[in-house]
Amino acid sequence: MRKQTPVMFKIGMATLALAGLVVTAGVPAGAHHAFGAEFDPNRPVVLRGPVVKVEWVNPHTWIHVEVTGDDGDKMVWMVEGGTPNTLLRRGLSRDTIPVGATIVVDGYQSKDRSARANGRDVTFEDGRKFFMGSSGTGAPRDGRDVTEPE
Amino acid sequence: MHSRITTCLGALAVVGLVVAPIVTAQDGDIPRTASGRPDLSGTYDVSTLTPMQRPSDLAEKMSLTDEEAAELAETARLRREERNAPSDPNRGAPPQGGDGSAGAAGNVGGYNTFWIDNGTGAFKVDGQWRTSILIDPPDGRYPSRTEANRAAQRAAREARGGGVRRFTNDGTAYWLEAGLDAPGPYDNMEQRPYAERCILTFSSTSGPPMLPALYNNHKRIVQTEDTVMILIEMVHDARIVRMNAEHDPPEIKKWLGDSIGWWEGDTLVVETTNFVDRPAFSQGTGNMKVTERFRLESADSLIYTFTVEDPTVWTAPFTGEYAWPRSPNKVFEYACHEANYALEGIMKGARLLEADFRGEEPEGVVNPTR
Repeated sequence: MRKQTPVMFKIGMATLALAGLVVTAGVPAGAHHAFGAEFDPNRPVVLRGPVVKVEWVNPHTWIHVEVTGDDGDKMVWMVEGGTPNTLLRRGLSRDTIPVGATIVVDGYQSKDRSARANGRDVTFEDGRKFFMGSSGTGAPRDGRDVTEPE
Repeated sequence: MHSRITTCLGALAVVGLVVAPIVTAQDGDIPRTASGRPDLSGTYDVSTLTPMQRPSDLAEKMSLTDEEAAELAETARLRREERNAPSDPNRGAPPQGGDGSAGAAGNVGGYNTFWIDNGTGAFKVDGQWRTSILIDPPDGRYPSRTEANRAAQRAAREARGGGVRRFTNDGTAYWLEAGLDAPGPYDNMEQRPYAERCILTFSSTSGPPMLPALYNNHKRIVQTEDTVMILIEMVHDARIVRMNAEHDPPEIKKWLGDSIGWWEGDTLVVETTNFVDRPAFSQGTGNMKVTERFRLESADSLIYTFTVEDPTVWTAPFTGEYAWPRSPNKVFEYACHEANYALEGIMKGARLLEADFRGEEPEGVVNPTR
């Protein structure tokens, strides 16, 4: 898991133990498709360039980004994200990802040594995250969140 | 009504606790079919942050106070906020050798949090916030495994070379260290898990028992007098429950098992047997029997209870329950085969790592960062 700024808060003993599980369940490393089998830890990569295409497909979204090498040659890399269903449910679509926008991706190249990588962190060029959706259902006041106002 | 109360009291008696007042729906509070049965038809979002097993240090503490539940939700909210914060725009590649991620991500990490949809807090059953889905055994943890099952697991580990490095991802064909002809985990695509092959469910989302996962947590129930269908978003499975029917002959095995159902008062009971040898609930076997109970706690919330019995694996049955709130959302298609590039990449990647191991130095796309 990448290094993150610690969050300070007061918390009861019982919740602390549960909170430990929340942390585990919510790590950005939550991938079912055995990313450990698909990507190579010895081939870290950072990609910068414009989005040229978005494959809004199951089981995983693929964002295509054009990378210009030191020699000026251009190559399109495919970046693996999560399921589109989650974003679709929040009212987002592939059109929300602007073709032409410059993005920064860090991840690991696939073991098959094709131009594919996992989108470990996908941001705009200024570092902002692509989407800022809450992880709720998107439904207002659905009773799932005890902190939401009555 | 009577059977619903009996069910609640039975569950409480099992855990040996007297807790908050039991809230049950009054007749007329829940939707009913023309024949008077509770109408379960609709879409439900089963996501929750509450774990299957209770953390050991909570012992037999089954419930959370409102304050504790609020703290839990706030902790999760802060963590989401932290992960949604901007990253360093000038960041470099992640560390050589891996970022230390665990689980399926295996040392390379996954993807941003915004893809994940696993709920915003704990769930309530009969007015009580819960600390785990499992409620019996009373410590909220799986019962111990049988000695025969433990021995079989040990034997399987030894058969595959001790298994010490089996689940590591160090970017090598480590399985060839035992010999260039040694068996490895990527020799045949049928060795790969159901999820990678898009065959069946992830994390027992279809079960049975049906459990929450990191995302795609929606279920849709369509109910008729003679059949109940449960559509599982992940991964496009449809469970068919034949009402008031007999099980198929035991030699007929099914991915999702053979489900028959009946009504006990206002509770739909579904019994499933005839599983394949490796069912979606991966700890179980083809000998498993799962009994599920569906009752409407209110018009907006279904309480889902399950009991799992498999005497070839566990020394005792176990029971869990959690809330399925109704959702205004739809179940979206999750046609996993559509663009499953991953399996092809996994198999080809393993061949290249094996070529590396043999010193062949296969070529590939040049990594601009290396």
